[in-house]
This record gives sequence, structure tokens and C-alpha cells, in this order.
Amino acid sequence: MLSRVAASFYWLSRYIERSDGMLRMLKINYASSQDTVQEFTWEPVIRIFAGINGAEIEKLENDSRAVLKYMVTGKNNPNSILNIITLARENARGVQEHIPKDLWQCLNEYYHTVKDSRLERSLQREDPIGVLDVLIKQVMLYYGTAEITMERGEGRSFMNIGKYLERAIQSVDILDTKFSSISDNPDLLTDTTYWKHLLLSLGGYELYLKTYREGFEAENVLEQVALNNDFPRSVIYSVNNIHRYFDRLKNDSNVDTFREMSFQIGRLQSRIKYSSVKSIRADGLHLFLTQTRNELHGIGNSLNEYYFANS
Amino acid sequence: MQESAYFDKYNPIGGVWDEMYGLDSNVREHYRKVIEYISKESADDLNKKEELAKRLFMSQGITFTVYNSGEGIEKIFPFDIIPRIITASEWTFVEKGIKQRLTALNLFLKDIYHNQFIVKDGIVPIDIIYSCPHFLREMYELKVPYDIYVHISGIDLIRDEDGTFYVLEDNLRTPSGVSYMLENREITKRLFPDLLPQCGVRSVTEYPTILYKNLMALSPRQISNPTVVLLSPGIYNSAYFEHTTLARLMGVELVEGRDLVVNNHKVFMKTTTGLQQVDVIYRRVDDEYLDPLVFNPESMLGVAGIMGAYRKGNVAIVNAVGTGVADDKAVYVYVPDMIRYYLNEEPILKNVPTHQLGNADEREHVFKNLNKMVVKKTNGSGGYGMLMGHAASEQEIEDYKKEILKDPRNFIAQPTISLSAAPCYMQGALKPRRIDLRPYALYGPDGIEIVPGGLTRVALKEGSLVVNSSQGGGSKDTWVLA
Repeated sequence: MLSRVAASFYWLSRYIERSDGMLRMLKINYASSQDTVQEFTWEPVIRIFAGINGAEIEKLENDSRAVLKYMVTGKNNPNSILNIITLARENARGVQEHIPKDLWQCLNEYYHTVKDSRLERSLQREDPIGVLDVLIKQVMLYYGTAEITMERGEGRSFMNIGKYLERAIQSVDILDTKFSSISDNPDLLTDTTYWKHLLLSLGGYELYLKTYREGFEAENVLEQVALNNDFPRSVIYSVNNIHRYFDRLKNDSNVDTFREMSFQIGRLQSRIKYSSVKSIRADGLHLFLTQTRNELHGIGNSLNEYYFANS
Repeated sequence: MQESAYFDKYNPIGGVWDEMYGLDSNVREHYRKVIEYISKESADDLNKKEELAKRLFMSQGITFTVYNSGEGIEKIFPFDIIPRIITASEWTFVEKGIKQRLTALNLFLKDIYHNQFIVKDGIVPIDIIYSCPHFLREMYELKVPYDIYVHISGIDLIRDEDGTFYVLEDNLRTPSGVSYMLENREITKRLFPDLLPQCGVRSVTEYPTILYKNLMALSPRQISNPTVVLLSPGIYNSAYFEHTTLARLMGVELVEGRDLVVNNHKVFMKTTTGLQQVDVIYRRVDDEYLDPLVFNPESMLGVAGIMGAYRKGNVAIVNAVGTGVADDKAVYVYVPDMIRYYLNEEPILKNVPTHQLGNADEREHVFKNLNKMVVKKTNGSGGYGMLMGHAASEQEIEDYKKEILKDPRNFIAQPTISLSAAPCYMQGALKPRRIDLRPYALYGPDGIEIVPGGLTRVALKEGSLVVNSSQGGGSKDTWVLA
């Protein structure tokens, strides 16, 4: 497979996954902004998903509609849903003869939905949750179509590696941001709604309730989002899947580069697998997350170098 | 035959060859079956067919993108549902004419990049050659496989008021539009079920197979499975759809310049398993952008060093580099002489009479008669930068004259040819619209093959003589009868 084609599959998938994470985050945060007596701050969300500095964040952080506009349809925000879906579609266009027609049409529709000027208007004037739900449905449609129609080959492996790499990075970023807010404001540690919203935005609320009976505890949340094998947005689940789909590339790979990357992924997987909340706490959560993030980026860089010929 | 609302109201344009109506206002024999078929359909049905055609084009993504204020808008190339029909005898004539012309043009290219006998014998003046921007000295004394330069050509033909075929342009660089020849046929199959076999229409589906066979044969390495790629400028190119279609139909890899790299005078593509040597490149990138080390240094579309690999004979490039010198409109004037010189034959297809404005006498004559002339740039294409004398205002004519005087070599003038007309379906009625014909000829080691069909372009605006898609043109399915 051409390196460019592989890279397009990978990025296409990263962008879709990113949009999914963002949309869910925005939806839950908007809901939570309606449910608070104090002034609601969007600062963590903006920090996770947009690379802008303090002054710019301050301008936005307390205005829900402005944040939604910036994050969903913002033309000047390189990481807005509009811009990343445009990029996803361009990646798909460049490999059109390699993806099923259904999948292309699905992505095309997602793109046209985001681009529609009516969407921007509804986001400002109507119930934003309804609008975000329409977009979330588009992502789900995309994933369903991909699952049913994508040929089980190299292309799909690169897609899934991109998807789970993006997801792992997102979960790490969310944990890091949410837990570092506690050091600034220790009251949050016992704030039930704070943890509830974090879990809701990751779609892990129900699983949490089933797993832990003693109410919301920071350590339990950490355990679920970092280490629970059954939670589809956990770091360990995502890394396991990176490993799983990378392994499938074995037959289509150069022996040396495959071995090198296999080592890299395996090391990360083991480190997380043989961690516990206790050991993470002992070493420092921030350090653990930073190291994990660096290794995830390292995997991305190796793919770039060995498979996408972008060294 | 059955009385028909569509055909009774059809008014051929006076003094113009009509493909459907003969001189005595009788329907030509080869259109009869189509007319019978269509007459049975109500206007409602035909409107539905038109809608279906649009939907098929759109949903299959057969679109080109127009970039406007940073946002891409996807448009379909307008399609008229009534086919254009060519009889077997007309086709035999056209086919013979194109083969003859292409053979001569190819010999000319070989000659001009080697011994230049045609110049030494005084047939073609040397300044016409050297002043042509597409004459590339980089090609001098370069041996191309089988001495074939023009592997793919799309020669534009038109018919004047008595039905005589003329060559309007020889497109010898990277002619486009062949995907429309293929897609239009697929859509006609859906629109008029059973009609094609009833009429005995010859198939065009062989095109990708012949092209692939020819490309394979050019491989410099004698191996059973050479790597053939199609080099596209990428998704922002307006013909990108065509590139993906051809790549898909031939089963070859679609690459962009950044996918290729040259090492030790060999071309490789970057794959997930490492570098893979490329043997044949069907490129849809213009000469100028092909190699930043040799041509335009700012090109991001090409591959650095590819010309070196080409000179060494390690890669075949299709069409050969430098073919533009043969389809320059100032060189066009000499094509009939080339046919006589190289083949010792009389040209079968006629040239449109052409005045070179670099020549002072001819310029004066043209300036006096500008309202009856079409003036074109010698290296222009796509219908841009043309002056249609009969339709231009005085101010436009004056401005254009100034433009010409800046560099007269770059302009030619031709009398306005009254293109032939064919019926088009427009809002419930048939109306005559002007058309041309672009058959696609494939020149391989086994000779020249022309798929029976081609692209018929049509000027959809009433009274318009310009068929280019960039100027409001559309297309029709083109039938060649057995």
C-alpha cells in the first residue's frame, strides 16, 4: 500500500475520533452549564481541544454559545469540528478508490451537515444539545458503516490504529486536565457532579455505577478511565487495540521496522497493564500521564517515519 | 413513422449541418430508431430520465470542483440525454483520418527532437519551432520506447455546413474527458434500456483495457509484472475524478508527486513496506510541473530527478515529454504538409484555414475581417483567452488587437466555422445545439487503436459556438453504429 494512502486512512480516522470525543464533551458540558448556580467555566474543555492561550480562553470561557460556535463551526479554529471534518473528507477523497462507496457517502453527508449554514444558526438560537446529537449520530453512522463495509486489510488496520491512538491520547488529556484542576481547587475532589460529568462525557457513567457501589471517588474514576479493560474509552483498552491492529500489519511490513514498533507498543502496553491506582499515585499521576502521552506520540512518530515515509 | 410532439416542433438552424435532419428536412436514417423510441415517451418520462441522469452523476461523485472564495463547490458536467450518432461509414473515414494524422504527428515529434529533417528541407520554418514554449530542448536526442511520443490523444473534430469534418485542435499533451465517454455510456444504458443493442451501437468499454495493455508494453524492465502508476496532481485538480476512475478501471495505483522519489536514476514509490520501483508513469501532470530540477523549480506536483530517470530509459512517461510542440496552434498550420512530407499521402482530414498573426500580411487581412474570425492563443486551451469576432463588441476587439500586437506569434485566427448541430432535450422540447467530437486514439507498440466513440461536447447556450465545459458546455453520449 502506498504510504500516502496509509497515512490518509490513519488521519481520516483520527479526525473522526477526535470529532466524536469533542462532540460528547461539548454536549455534557453544555448540559452541566444549565445545572449550576455558579458561573460555569469552559476552560478545561477549551484547553483539551483547542490550542489557544490564556487570554483567548478568558474571552470565551464563560459564554456557552460563543464556545460552541468556536468549537463546532469556528472557521478560525483549526481544531473546530468543521475544520477537522473537512480534513477528514479531503483525506478520504485522496484515497477514494480504496474506500467503500458507502463510507465515502457517509462521510460526505457528515461534512455537508456540518457545513450547512442552518446548523450554525440552530447552534446559536435553538437547543444546542439537539444539534450536537445530530452530529453525534453522523459519527455513529460512520462507525457503523465502516464496520460493515471496510475490507479487512491493511487499510482498516491503519484506520483502527489511528482511531485508538487518538482515543488514548484524548483520555489521557482529559484525565490530566481534570485531575490537575483538583490541585487548584481541592473542593472538587468531593464534588459528585464534577465526577459524574466527567464520566458522562466519556460515556462511562453507567459502567461506573455498576462497578463501584460506594459513590464517586476520584481514585475509582481514575481506575476506570485508565485501567479498566472493559471500558471502551479507557487508556488500556485503546492501547490494547493499537497493539491488536498493529499486529495485523505483520505480513505487510518490513521485518525490522515491524519489530521496532512492536517493541515500542508492547512496552507501553505492559507499563499500563502492570500499573495500579496505588502505584500510579505513588509515582505521581501527572508523571504517569505525561509519560503515557509521550509514548503515544512516539508511536505516531514511528508510524510517520516507518510507514508513512514522512521522516 | 409516428407523429411526435418533440420532432414536429424541432427547428433546424438555417445554413448549419444538422446531425439528425437531412437537407430535405427528413430525419436521417441512423436517427430513426432513437426517434421512434423517444416519441413513445411522454415529456414527464423524459424529465424523469433527465433527473435520473443528474442523480446518477451526483451520487457517483462524477463532479468537478469549482473553487470560489476558498470554498469548493461541487458541480456536475451538464449531460444531455439525447445521444449523438455517427454512422459506420462516417466513423471509418474519421478513424482513417486520425490514424494518418497521428502517425505523421508522431514522426514529426521524433524528427524534431532528433535530426530535424523537416526543418532542413524547408517544410516547417525553424522560428515557429524554437519560439514555441512547449518545444523542450531537454528532449533532444532522447530515445523514447518504440519511438512513440503520443500514446494518448484527443483530436477535436468539427463539421461545417456541408458536413465535412475538420480538425480543430490536436490535443497531444494530456487530453482529458475520456471518463465522460465511459460514464455517459453507462448512464445511457440506464436511461434507455434495450435501445443500444437495438440500434447496434459499438461498445467503448475496451478503452481502459487497451490503455493498460499499451502501458504495460512500455516497461523498460523485462519483467512479468511491471509497476504502472497514474500520476495525478491531487484532489484539487478539476479532473481528479477522471484520474481515480481510470486508475480504478485499470487497477493501477494512483500516485501524487510526493509519493514518488528518484534514487540512482530510478523512480520509486513510497509504500508501507518500503520503496517499490515504478516502470511506467501515465502522468496527468503538465510538462512544466513534472520535474522541479529541470522545469518550473517551484512545482510541488512533480518529482525531482524524474527527467534524469527518463533520459536513462529507466522509466517510461506517457505521453512523452515535449509533445506540446506538435499541438501548438502555429505548428497546426503545417500538419497537412507534414502528412505529405512523412507519409507521401494527401491528408484525409482537413485543417481549418488558419492565419498566423506573426506574419504581417496575414495579420493585416485578419484585422480587417475580425468580425468574421475567431482568434486564439497558440498555446491556450479550455476556451480561455479566445476572441469570437462575430459576438464581440468594438471595445473588446480593440482591446484584443492591442493584446495581439504585444506578441503576434502567440496568436492565430480562423474563420468562424459554423459547427454542426444536434438535437438536445431542453425543458420538454428538442432544440438544436452546436457540437464537436473528440475521439480518443491510443498509440501502442501494436499500432493505433481508436475506441469507437468519443466525447461529444455541446454548447448548451442558444447560439453559442463554444463547447468547452469552462464556457457553459455540456456533453452527450456518442454512438458509433456497427
